[in-house]
Amino acid sequence: MSVTVSTEAVRVDGLSRRYGAVRALDAIDLTLERGITGLLGPNGAGKTTLLSVLATVSEPDAGRVSVFGLDPGDAAERVEIRRRLGYLPQELGYHRHFTVAAFLDYVAILKEITDRRRRAEEVAMVLTVTGLEDRARSRIRTLSGGMRQRLGIAQALLGAPDLLILDEPTAGLDPEQRLRFRELLSELPGDPAIVLSTHQADDIAAICPRVIVLLNGQVRFAGTPAGLAGTAAGQVWAADERDNGAHLSWRGGDGRWRHIGEQPPAGAELVSPTVEDGYLLVSHAAGTR
Amino acid sequence: MTHISEDLLTSYAVGTAGAINLWSVEAHLTGCASCRSAVSAHVDADRLARNRSVLLVRAAIGDGGPVRRLLRRCGVPDHLLGVLAATPSLRASWLLSVLAVVAVVAVEAAAVSYGWIGQPAPHASPEALAPFLLVAPLLVLGGVAAAFLPVFDPANRLAVAAPFSGFTLLLVRTVCALAVALIPVTGIAFVLPGPGWLPFGLLLPSLALSAFALAAATVMDPRAAAVLAGLAWMVPASLLALAHVPLSIVQPDAQFACAAVLFACVVVLFARHSRFEMGLMK
Amino acid sequence: MRPGAEEREDAVLLRAVARGDERALTALYDRHAGWLTVRMTRRCAMPDLVDHAIQDTFLAVWREAGTYRGGGDVAAFIWGIGIRRLIDVIRRENGSRRRLPWRAAEPETVVSAEDQVLVGIEHGRLGQALAGLSPELRAAIEATVLDGLTCAEAGVLLGVAEGTVKSRCHRARVALRAALAGTDPVWGTS
Repeated sequence: MSVTVSTEAVRVDGLSRRYGAVRALDAIDLTLERGITGLLGPNGAGKTTLLSVLATVSEPDAGRVSVFGLDPGDAAERVEIRRRLGYLPQELGYHRHFTVAAFLDYVAILKEITDRRRRAEEVAMVLTVTGLEDRARSRIRTLSGGMRQRLGIAQALLGAPDLLILDEPTAGLDPEQRLRFRELLSELPGDPAIVLSTHQADDIAAICPRVIVLLNGQVRFAGTPAGLAGTAAGQVWAADERDNGAHLSWRGGDGRWRHIGEQPPAGAELVSPTVEDGYLLVSHAAGTR
Repeated sequence: MTHISEDLLTSYAVGTAGAINLWSVEAHLTGCASCRSAVSAHVDADRLARNRSVLLVRAAIGDGGPVRRLLRRCGVPDHLLGVLAATPSLRASWLLSVLAVVAVVAVEAAAVSYGWIGQPAPHASPEALAPFLLVAPLLVLGGVAAAFLPVFDPANRLAVAAPFSGFTLLLVRTVCALAVALIPVTGIAFVLPGPGWLPFGLLLPSLALSAFALAAATVMDPRAAAVLAGLAWMVPASLLALAHVPLSIVQPDAQFACAAVLFACVVVLFARHSRFEMGLMK
Repeated sequence: MRPGAEEREDAVLLRAVARGDERALTALYDRHAGWLTVRMTRRCAMPDLVDHAIQDTFLAVWREAGTYRGGGDVAAFIWGIGIRRLIDVIRRENGSRRRLPWRAAEPETVVSAEDQVLVGIEHGRLGQALAGLSPELRAAIEATVLDGLTCAEAGVLLGVAEGTVKSRCHRARVALRAALAGTDPVWGTS
């Protein structure tokens, strides 16, 4: 049997998961490679479920998952996957009394760094990378939302993971904080595969060379942001008036109306599509808005 | 004061100074700040910055307090102590509230049996112990529940996704919570007017309840398991209290039953321990 | 800056550290970690161990700044802590489990007694006498006199038994006394 060296970090085949009557994930196929992949979709699309399966926190009902070529269903391989994983859950809880440094020390223990000195070195490294050095002694409850998010990323970075799973890392951040987050991601040491979920298209446009659109538990698009924008090529118009015949129609900040549809409304001009346009079109085609 | 020449300082910093120069240079450095900073300039700035960061992190983390220092010196691995630091039932506030509740119940039982309230009794009435008997093992169960229930660990999802064995985490925390919760409970039991073996009679029921809750958590929702364990004690204890024989719950027959339950539950726990590696939540 | 002013600043910083001021610890680190690294490297060739010792030293300063009694240089106080942290690190690396009790260095006796003598050592008769010693004897004298270590501590640093250190020191003093014809007041006593 030949051994192929692939750049694939994750491979998913026919993954399904349901909660009661709700199908959170419906026979999903996808692959993740090195670099940053964005998972785009509205709330309830199944992003968190998918990410928690990849993080070995949830088990699928059906289908196969392979992370670094290992099977999370096997106990020993699951531990091996966890050793190379960094996970930021959507609602990350913190022990109220912990300081930043103590919390990171605790997570480092969970990541099996038993030597005290090595733990301190790892914690110092992630604090430097996320710009939280001055806050090492602060209690977590005194941190602002943006700093807590950075702390969440810092704990995910402990142990130099090969796969970084970030669930809605930009939620609740203001634009300046989102900008700093993007800079942080682009300057990470090592070359991990990163998957982050968001419901905002401009996060994707700004940081992700690859994007997967998830709607109602199904993959509706997998490709580049330019490709996603391209799905709406030739269907995006700007006009001075509303058009009721278009699929989607809204008024932009510049006072002009933007329409997505096949037929140009009267007096409209063709404009080049953005990632958000492509996303809206794909969502509309999937029957969701 | 005369200073050391720049050449000599450089050769000292770089390591090429001869032995005699080493001696005189170092004696001078102890008292001269400007020569010290000249020497410092030869050290790699990145290295200094790195050591500085690690130093500040270690100062921020601290050594965990006198208890942790002592345990470390006794040979307990520091990473296990770190895991225990994140357990609510070991926090001082939890301990204090356990003590407070136990004290209240004990005072009430003592008051009744010593005749401070109600009719003066010629001898200690076992019925007065009923509230204490009811509550004491439940407090131990509560301490254990606070150690293993996911709802009490805010960073539970992180713990599940991490390579550290979920079962080891659970065992370390619950065993410690057991020991820590048993101390005030048995301590108060010594003070109460009752049979001399009362404190020891509470051990097996407390252990059995805790083991039952943990074993049940492998087959049902963990909170339901804890509640079920609590009921498994409260129902017989209340019934016996109403029948005026509360102490029956700690008699030999009951002790044997508790020992059997404990044994069975420990077997189940170890057989199904892989359940804990996936976390106890859906 | 005049030497006296620098020294007073160091003492102020050390008192601030004793009160728990972390910025003062950082300031002390920035002033002293550099030369401390060099001085430790002259005694231990492994940079990782020196890094660990540097961290341990300033952590010990953080915890024990209150023991500084105000006499002697702050630099000597820090070195007294540092050399013992270095020995601990070396000892742990070599697998020994016994811990050395930390005791305060006595900077007055180490520095002031030799200050004038040692600074002039390069060109003086003592310098020539020291040059005449074999390297092991010189290292033993240096560890016990310049660094103020006990023979046990010096043994760890040099990688020899405590008894060996004792006998080497004795032979070194005998040789020095002979070379100086026994007239130097410092080395005349033992």
